[in-house]
Amino acid sequence: MRPYQVATAAAIVMIAAVAMFDSRAAFSPSAGTQVGDVGARWYPFWAAAIMGVASVVVAYRALTTPQGTEGAFEGARSLFAVLKLAVPMLVYALLIAGVGFRTTDFTYSIVPPFGFYLATALYMGLFAWWLGRYKIWWVAAITIAFPIVIFAVFEIGFRVSLPKSFLYTSGLLPF
Amino acid sequence: MEVFGQLAGGFAVALHPINVAMLFVAVVLGLVIGVLPGLGGTSGVAILLPITVFIAHGSLPGSDATTAIIFLAGIYWGALFGGVITSILFNIPGEPWAVVLLFDGFPLAKRLGKPGLALASSFVSSFLGALVSTILFTFFALPIALKALEFGPAELFAVFVLSFATLIGLGAEAPMKSLAMLALGLLLAAVGFDTITGEQRLNFGQISLLSGISFVPVTIGLFGIGEILASAEEQGIGFVENISAKLGLRDVFEAVRELRKRLRLVLSNAIIGFFFGVLPGHGATAASFLGYGLARQYSKNKENFGKGEISGIMGPQAAADSAGVASLVPMITLGIPGSPTSAVIMAGLFIWGLQPGPVLFIQHPDFVWGLIASIYLGHLLTFILCLLAVPLLAMIMRVPYAIITPFIVVISIIGSYSLNNSMLDVFITVIFGLIGYWLRKMKYPLAPLVVALVLGDSTERELRKALIAGHGSPLYFFNSGLSTVLILLAVVLVAIPLIRTIRARRRGAAPPAAVAHP
Repeated sequence: MRPYQVATAAAIVMIAAVAMFDSRAAFSPSAGTQVGDVGARWYPFWAAAIMGVASVVVAYRALTTPQGTEGAFEGARSLFAVLKLAVPMLVYALLIAGVGFRTTDFTYSIVPPFGFYLATALYMGLFAWWLGRYKIWWVAAITIAFPIVIFAVFEIGFRVSLPKSFLYTSGLLPF
Repeated sequence: MEVFGQLAGGFAVALHPINVAMLFVAVVLGLVIGVLPGLGGTSGVAILLPITVFIAHGSLPGSDATTAIIFLAGIYWGALFGGVITSILFNIPGEPWAVVLLFDGFPLAKRLGKPGLALASSFVSSFLGALVSTILFTFFALPIALKALEFGPAELFAVFVLSFATLIGLGAEAPMKSLAMLALGLLLAAVGFDTITGEQRLNFGQISLLSGISFVPVTIGLFGIGEILASAEEQGIGFVENISAKLGLRDVFEAVRELRKRLRLVLSNAIIGFFFGVLPGHGATAASFLGYGLARQYSKNKENFGKGEISGIMGPQAAADSAGVASLVPMITLGIPGSPTSAVIMAGLFIWGLQPGPVLFIQHPDFVWGLIASIYLGHLLTFILCLLAVPLLAMIMRVPYAIITPFIVVISIIGSYSLNNSMLDVFITVIFGLIGYWLRKMKYPLAPLVVALVLGDSTERELRKALIAGHGSPLYFFNSGLSTVLILLAVVLVAIPLIRTIRARRRGAAPPAAVAHP
């Protein structure tokens, strides 16, 4: 557990260092707009400083006190169980928004935005097929039913407008 | 006697048909959330928070902000009760505050073959604990709020500091980890425009970060996504023990008889749970462990604990539910959340355009007293539903992992997106889900992070207002007796873990943990 504890604390120290650098104007003589005011940077600077110092102590304690010999995960199976959920979740979020980049003149789309409903259909279907190992008609039913129910509840019931797909913008689908 | 008049007015508000209907829906949702191991009360409330924006703004006929808070609080009450069902029947805690029920609840159900009695004992003690706490809430809330109205920036800042100190001093995790998480919460709250000077901070040139990092997507990530990643690692809902989940009237009568034998324990644990719940940042989980410890400490049958002792169910349940209710007291009266769940409810108040704290009692008495009255109704409703619907709730455990897990992710993403119609919030949720999972694994407490994130802005504002008032002198904080006492108390609380460590080192042992943390 020791290397993981130290690495986690080190990552927090890094975040603290970046935040302290961004807030270095805390020490500018012109900080604050009124008499007695410490300015906008003082509070984040010291919050980051406290976070950094506390994490250094955590790392020091992890290095100097006995730690469990086990790793962060109980074997590859446990790591794989987390990845099976985490990776599709990241892909799902990216699919909703689409993947691309923008220059001053153009927007380049590598993966077009699938929007919420198409991405959800694929995501729910993937789990039913891959982890659930359901028969194909069950997978099809889950893939179709969930987005429709969500559309009815949120889009119609609560009037929450969720992101639409590239097929919606081209007029081929209602979502 | 003014309280009775106010409470009667509150009941008139809470018994409005739309409020009763939403309370019913919320309690059912809360029970379901409580039963599901991958979804906790805090994340359930956070995920459903964006829906309350529509409720508060009158999307439903007759609904307003009171309906919205009755809805959110109702989910919490349902989850407080529902979390124990799976602990008792399947040896799988549905909520962190139900972990303690694995010690005696499951053995009573399985080994002694009395699942109905185990469930009924839990429900009757929860109900009584919550009732005691709600009565104390009714009588304590107004005097605390009236006193708090006199607070200036120095006193308010001192109250915030004291609430942060309790998170460090009374937490079970390493105090330095609590401190790091607390500071991280304060730092995240500082992202975006500074409210006093209008300067941009910590946004690294990103326009989308100018308005700051929203509390709700972070909380949905930390608790919702983080919890299901953790439960995925434990292989989710794998094998489920098959115990009959029927609950008959005979079980209820037997539980009431057992309760009468333990009335003193349940009442004292409820009162202790109330005062423990009022302490910021702790809430039901820590109270449940404290309640179990007290039940065992003062029992004549210590050897029966761990084998299905009813006091091991009733003691922690009375304390946990009492603390759950009490965690709303500082949120409503002072604007300080008593638990991560009440931090989420407090974020709801901001979103609906209300300012939590003493002014609420003056400006929106219907809202406050409607909420208090709904706590009585909510617990009665939860109690009745629990007695009637246990077999149905137990069936939820049989919903396959391959459906329920992605469904929770989908609902979490809807929740984080719909608040600001922002994909950035969705990515914040996913990223904080991964961060929350890892921090939990590394034993960093999440409660200080969430509480600091919701209080960060107010803490900075009061600190700077006090410094401006004192022309930059920190001695201004010691001008008032109350703020001096509160700051000194905070120093003592922060020193507790240090003293504990030094004493333990002298004895040559590892420092003991105080109480378990949510």
